Amino acid sequence: MVAGLVKAFGSVVAVDGIDFAVQPGTIFGLLGRNGAGKTTTLECCIGLGKPTAGSIRVLGLDPTKSRDLAALRPKIGAQLQATSLPEKANAGEVLELYAAYYGIPPRTQEMAERVGLADKLDRQIAQMSGGEQQRLALALALQHDPDVLFLDEPSAGMDAFGRRIMWSEVERLRDAGKTIVLTTHYIEEAERLCDRICVMQRGRIVADASPAELVAQFGGDAGVSIAADGFTPDAALEALGTWTRTGSQWKLATRGEPGLALAAIVTHANALGAKIVSLDLHRPTLEDAFVALTGETILEVAQ
Amino acid sequence: MTELRMFLVQTRMNFIWYFRRDGEMVFWTLAMPVFFLVLFSFAFSSGPNSGSSGFLVPGIIGAQVLSSGFWGVGVMLATFREKHLLRRVYITPMPPWVFFASLVTYRMALLATQAVILIAVGALVFHVHVIGRPWEILAVLLLGTATFVSLGTIVGAVARTTESANNIASVLTVPLAFLSDAYIPIDRFPHAVSSALRLLPSTQFIDTLRDVAIYGVPLAHYGAWMALLALWTVAGTLISARTFRWL
Repeated sequence: MVAGLVKAFGSVVAVDGIDFAVQPGTIFGLLGRNGAGKTTTLECCIGLGKPTAGSIRVLGLDPTKSRDLAALRPKIGAQLQATSLPEKANAGEVLELYAAYYGIPPRTQEMAERVGLADKLDRQIAQMSGGEQQRLALALALQHDPDVLFLDEPSAGMDAFGRRIMWSEVERLRDAGKTIVLTTHYIEEAERLCDRICVMQRGRIVADASPAELVAQFGGDAGVSIAADGFTPDAALEALGTWTRTGSQWKLATRGEPGLALAAIVTHANALGAKIVSLDLHRPTLEDAFVALTGETILEVAQ
Repeated sequence: MTELRMFLVQTRMNFIWYFRRDGEMVFWTLAMPVFFLVLFSFAFSSGPNSGSSGFLVPGIIGAQVLSSGFWGVGVMLATFREKHLLRRVYITPMPPWVFFASLVTYRMALLATQAVILIAVGALVFHVHVIGRPWEILAVLLLGTATFVSLGTIVGAVARTTESANNIASVLTVPLAFLSDAYIPIDRFPHAVSSALRLLPSTQFIDTLRDVAIYGVPLAHYGAWMALLALWTVAGTLISARTFRWL
C-alpha cells in the first residue's frame, strides 16, 4: 500500500504524490512510458529509495525503517533494472549463493529448468546474453518463494521465449496466492498479466483499474469499417452508432458489440447487392485507453 | 547458523570468482611485489650481506597490506557500487558483516600468499632469515590488515565512483609506501622528518613487522604502537559503518 508517495531527486520530482493499494494474491502493474516514475516507485517499496514524502507499507511493514526492512527482505523477491552480478560468476554459483542468503537449501537445478537455463548453469555471467541474465535474475527473485514479488520491466531485453517463461512464472506465483507488483511499458504484457493497472505519467497516476475497465472507460468506441460499391447504411444501421464516410469507405463508431454490428452491416450490404471490397473490425484496446488517458503513445516515437 | 553458512558460501564464491577465475589479476598481484623485491634489492645493495633485502621483505609485505586495504577493499567496494552489484545484495537478508568479512577473508588469503612468496624468495635468493615468533608475526599482520582494511573501507564509502576511489587510493598508497619505511629507510631523512613519519600508522605497522620478523624483537616492545593500530581500526570501522552507502 502506497499513500501520498513523493520522491524527488534534487529539483527533479520523479514521483509526485501517488496512492495505490495492491490486493494480496493479484498481479498489479504500473504502466507508463520510460521516466514516468514506475521504477522509482517500485524501488521505494523495497527499500532502495527513501521517499521524500508519503508512506509505504508492504506486508504491513515500512520499508523506510531499517528494522521493518530487515523483516521484509526475506519475504520479498525482486528483479531490478539497474543491477548486475559478478562477471566471473556462473549461473549455478549465483543461485547457490542466493539460496544461502535466504537460508534455504539451493534449488539450482529446479530453478534453472524453470527459467530455461538448465544447460547453461556453468556459463559465466559475462558470457550470458541479456535475455539469459534477465531469466537468471528472475530465478534469483523466485528461488526463496517470496510472498511479494517485485519485477521492474521484467521483459526488457527478453526475447519471446524469455517473455513466455516469465509470464507463466508470474501467473504460477499468483495462482499460488502470492502478490506480484510489476512495472512495464509493454501494453501487451500489462493486458495479459495484470489484474489491476495503474497508468503513470510524469510521476502521477492517471488511472487505476482492471485492464477491461480501462478499455471500457477510456478505450473509446469500437469501429467497423466497410468499403463496398453502392453501400449506404439504412435506418437500422444508423441506430447502431455514428457513421462517417470517406470516399467509398464507411466507418461506424459504436458503443455496442462490434461483432453484431458487423453481421448486420454484411447482411445489409448483401441485400443491397453491394460488392464488399474491404471490411474491418476494430475493438478498443488498452493501447487506445492509454493514448486517451495520457495523450501520448507508450513508445516514444524515434526522432 | 544461517549467517555462518552465508559467510562460508560467499567466501568460497569470492575465491572462485576473484582468485581461480581471475588469473591475470592474481598473477600481477603476486608477481609485482617479487619484482619490487628483486629490483630494490639490487638497487640499494652494496653487497650480499648489506641487509637491504632483510629490510625490504617486511617492507614490501607491509606496503602490500596498505594497497590491499585501499585498493583491494576500497576500490573494489566502489566498483561494486558503481556496477550496481551492491544494490542487488542490499535487498537480500544477507547482513553487511557477511559481505565485508568474506571480502576481508579473501584479501587476507591473497596477502598471505604474497607474504609466503616474498619470504621464500627472500630466503632462497637473498638469504633473508625470518627469526621472529610465527604467531607474533601473524598477530602484527592481522592487526595491520584490519587497520588498513577498515581505513580502505572509508575510501570505498566516500568515493562516489570507481575513478575517484582509484585516485584516493593512489594518493594514499603510493606516498605512504615511500614514507612509511617500506621501500626506503626513513632514517635517511632528517631526524625531525623521520620522527614525524613514525607517527603514521603505516610506519608503526611496518617497523613493528620488520623488527619482530627479521630482528626477533619481542612484540611486547611495541605494545603502544599495537594499541594505536587497534585504535585506528576501531575508528576506521566506526567511520566506515557510519558513512558506507550500499546504493
